[in-house]
Amino acid sequence: MIKITELQKFYRTEEVETVALNNLSIHVKGGEFVAVMGPSGCGKSTLLNIVGLLDDLDNGSYLFNGIEVAKFNERKRSDLRKHNIGFVFQSFNLIDELTVFENVELPLIYTKVPAAERKKRVEEVLEKVQIMHRRNHFPQQLSGGQQQRVAVARAVVNKPKLILADEPTGNLDSNNGNEVMQLLTELNEAGTTIVMVTHSEHDARYADRIIRMLDGQVLMETVG
Amino acid sequence: MIKNYFKTAWRNLKEHKFHTFVNISGLAFGLATAILLLLWVQHERSYDRFHKDYSRIHRIIPHLDANTVWEGVPGPLAVYAQSVPEVEAIVRVMEGSGQVLATEDRSTVLDDFTVAYVDSTFLTLFDFGLLNGETKPLFPNPNSITLTESTAKKFFGEDDPMGKVLQLRGENFTVAGVLRDFPDNSSLAFDAVLPMAHYAQRFTANGGNGDWKTIDTDLGNYAFKTFVKLHSDANPETVGRKFTQLYKDARNGESTTVFKLQPLADQHLVSVDGNTSAARMVQVFLLIAILVLAIAAINYVNLTTARALVRAREVGIRKVVGASKVQLFLQFIAETALLFCFALLIAIGLIVLLLPLYNNISGKQLHFSLANPEMWKVVGYSAVGTLVAASIYPALLLSGFQPLQVMKGKMASGRSASLLRKVLVVFQFSIAMVLIVATLVISRQMAYMRKVDLGYDKSYVFSASLPDAAVEHIDAVKNELTNHPGIVSIALSNVNDITNMDNSTGDLDWPGKPENSGLIISQSLIDGNFIPTMGIELLEGRNLTGTAADSNLYVVNEAAVRAMGLTPPYVGTPISFHDRPGTIVGVVKDFNFKPLKEKISPLLFFNWWTGNRLYVRTTAAEAANAIKAVERQYKKYAGDIPAPFRYEFVDQQFEAKYRADQRAGLLFNIFAGIAIFISCLGLLGLSTYTVRQRVKEIGIRKVLGASVSSIVGLLSSGSLWLILISVVLGTPIAWWTMSNWLDDFAYRIEIQWWMFVVAGLAALLIALLTVSFQAIKAAVANPVESLRDE
Repeated sequence: MIKITELQKFYRTEEVETVALNNLSIHVKGGEFVAVMGPSGCGKSTLLNIVGLLDDLDNGSYLFNGIEVAKFNERKRSDLRKHNIGFVFQSFNLIDELTVFENVELPLIYTKVPAAERKKRVEEVLEKVQIMHRRNHFPQQLSGGQQQRVAVARAVVNKPKLILADEPTGNLDSNNGNEVMQLLTELNEAGTTIVMVTHSEHDARYADRIIRMLDGQVLMETVG
Repeated sequence: MIKNYFKTAWRNLKEHKFHTFVNISGLAFGLATAILLLLWVQHERSYDRFHKDYSRIHRIIPHLDANTVWEGVPGPLAVYAQSVPEVEAIVRVMEGSGQVLATEDRSTVLDDFTVAYVDSTFLTLFDFGLLNGETKPLFPNPNSITLTESTAKKFFGEDDPMGKVLQLRGENFTVAGVLRDFPDNSSLAFDAVLPMAHYAQRFTANGGNGDWKTIDTDLGNYAFKTFVKLHSDANPETVGRKFTQLYKDARNGESTTVFKLQPLADQHLVSVDGNTSAARMVQVFLLIAILVLAIAAINYVNLTTARALVRAREVGIRKVVGASKVQLFLQFIAETALLFCFALLIAIGLIVLLLPLYNNISGKQLHFSLANPEMWKVVGYSAVGTLVAASIYPALLLSGFQPLQVMKGKMASGRSASLLRKVLVVFQFSIAMVLIVATLVISRQMAYMRKVDLGYDKSYVFSASLPDAAVEHIDAVKNELTNHPGIVSIALSNVNDITNMDNSTGDLDWPGKPENSGLIISQSLIDGNFIPTMGIELLEGRNLTGTAADSNLYVVNEAAVRAMGLTPPYVGTPISFHDRPGTIVGVVKDFNFKPLKEKISPLLFFNWWTGNRLYVRTTAAEAANAIKAVERQYKKYAGDIPAPFRYEFVDQQFEAKYRADQRAGLLFNIFAGIAIFISCLGLLGLSTYTVRQRVKEIGIRKVLGASVSSIVGLLSSGSLWLILISVVLGTPIAWWTMSNWLDDFAYRIEIQWWMFVVAGLAALLIALLTVSFQAIKAAVANPVESLRDE
């Protein structure tokens, strides 16, 4: 599903150029659950953003389902993203002005799913993450674990083939964290590919494979 | 999707109440102000345009020489029109105000009507409709009268007025039609019209004017306001030239009068002599309306882009879950539109609430009716124009954010947006600077005009017209009045309004008068008491005596001797006035007998008969008694004259001349104030966000020991620099604008350097108060709070 070869990414300021990713190559097969680990600043989040088509790369090749996407423009990337990729962030990133239901509904609106169909799918996925009873609450009224469950629901409502999770349990206590990990595992078992950046060895154990990074390069890969 | 846009927008408005309040109130005030101004502008520009063919209708204006323009033209022009093929129709109008109308049995006698003798082509040219739908004939015979609806009601109530008889100056007229009331945006407005044929008959019956026995042959009286309707392809200049030539031919080549055509649509805003100050005032108000809207739009742009930081995260999330740039752009446009709807509703409420007050100040009768399509045009243009100006840039900015950067808290394009905000603030406060200077200059000019030494003493003098019988027994009247303790002195004259004397002639000769002199001199009949009663200063020679010995003696003003090119001593100079030889016996100091926009022109006083207008100087305490005394005399001789006794104080006549200016000045001040207020609202909102952005910096500085005052200074200095730049930019603009404005006045103040200093300091002070409110709040806050917040 994901085949990245010789990827390079630099960050430039006026005075310095920092290498974020240096000749990095990875390969993720469809249906895999991959964890990416490494110390702060090793480039794992940058990698995740590039995989998620949120950021562009400076050199190298990125094949997504066999299609070269490295040179895609913003509109094409956005199009590919909204139909294929779901995101889960450490800080949940829910929109405060929208209710639980509306937050989850958002991706369906942007992919122009009809209203009745939207309602059905949002309710389905809210049932699945067990937050249906809170559907009309606003994010601030929920606990962190509940918010992250909503974020997961939002990530999967469009039935993406790939879910990218950036430290999904980083802001959660262990109970809530485990719940979210359980949820991700279930999704993976149902066929969704998952790439997860994490600091937690405990969480990484849920993955099929662990990629360890250092200074913008892959240090080693282990099977989970 | 749209529903989702509005839902988010609505919750955003609810959530951020301060932001919403500042935005909506700024917009609402801006829209209300601009719409009120535009209603006024629209009304001023709508004058005389309700006639279907207004663009083809022109008024003939006679230019006697380069500086003398009169209102009326000689009657024969209507005859010449038949040989000018471009002219489709011509109508002469001769109006009189203060007329008395009575029913035949004199059971109802009412005064103060404006009536006009008009040619029967009146309704061919103009679209003043008859009530019962007929158009012809307007006057079946020379003793017909056509009333307006209101006039008919006054005399006959709900009865049908047709065929009823009304008296005017002792003659009977039969009502032949009822006109709809003249619209309030018509520069022609009468209570009744009568046939020109009747006036023509009377003119001839009274012996005509010298050799000219009919109004159609009288070349001497420039008596008729005259309008022509041209064929659509006609050139007005050509037509004017043809009339000029035809008149010159009739005068055997001895005429310098040039006839020019003025479009009917210009009647209201351009005076006959081409003075466009009224039109300029309308332009100024239009400009202020646009500026106010611009200021309101700028507020919105500034507040929205400043708050972009808050909205950026949302934009990022929406993009990550699949929103396209276009979708986000539309979302922000929808948000702005929603806010505008609220602002517009409040603005309409404000307008309805303020309209009576506005009418009171502006002296207009504007109506705000939502059923009026013209009204919607004004509202629509203002709202949509401002919406477009205010919404596009912020929507582009917000929808263009890169999701990754904004979610990390790094603002893309933050620097260019903040530069733009600075530019816009400078623009707003440059306008504010200009407006402050303008209010200073305008109010000082107004005050100056009120206090300017007119050259005579206008206080506690009133004047009243006497009945003919009183003039015949003038000595008895004088005796009665001069003995009254409340009356200081009295004088007689034919001057109706000393603040605007409009009776002039070119019929003056003196030795050495140049061939091409063309001198036009104002002429006033006075008695021996007029000059001392009015407090006019005699510079040389002596006053008229008020006796028959005055019959060939004249008093002139300084402007006259200058214009005649005389050399001192002026007394004793032989002159011939209306072919009556005589000498100058006195020269008075120049005094203002015309509106202050005009320079003092030549004037001649003569005393050939007894004037019928009485001037009375009284005192503050005795004024009421003096008026009563004059009224008693009036009634004693009034006989059957139904007109009630009327008097006017000279200082009130003077004030009335400047009421329009005073009103415009007051309106200007109010709107300038609102514009500045809206600018401050924007600055307040902006400073809130600036402070919020620097909360962490303030916290760190305080932890490191910064004082409250140093932090207030730090936070305010940025804005104050902008204001200082605005002051510098606004100064030359203000100077140029106000110099131009003052050029309209013959008596004017000079712009002083301190006005710019005062205006600049005022702008700085206002801005400082606005900004420091937020700065102080931030500076005194507990630093731990601000750091934790971050």
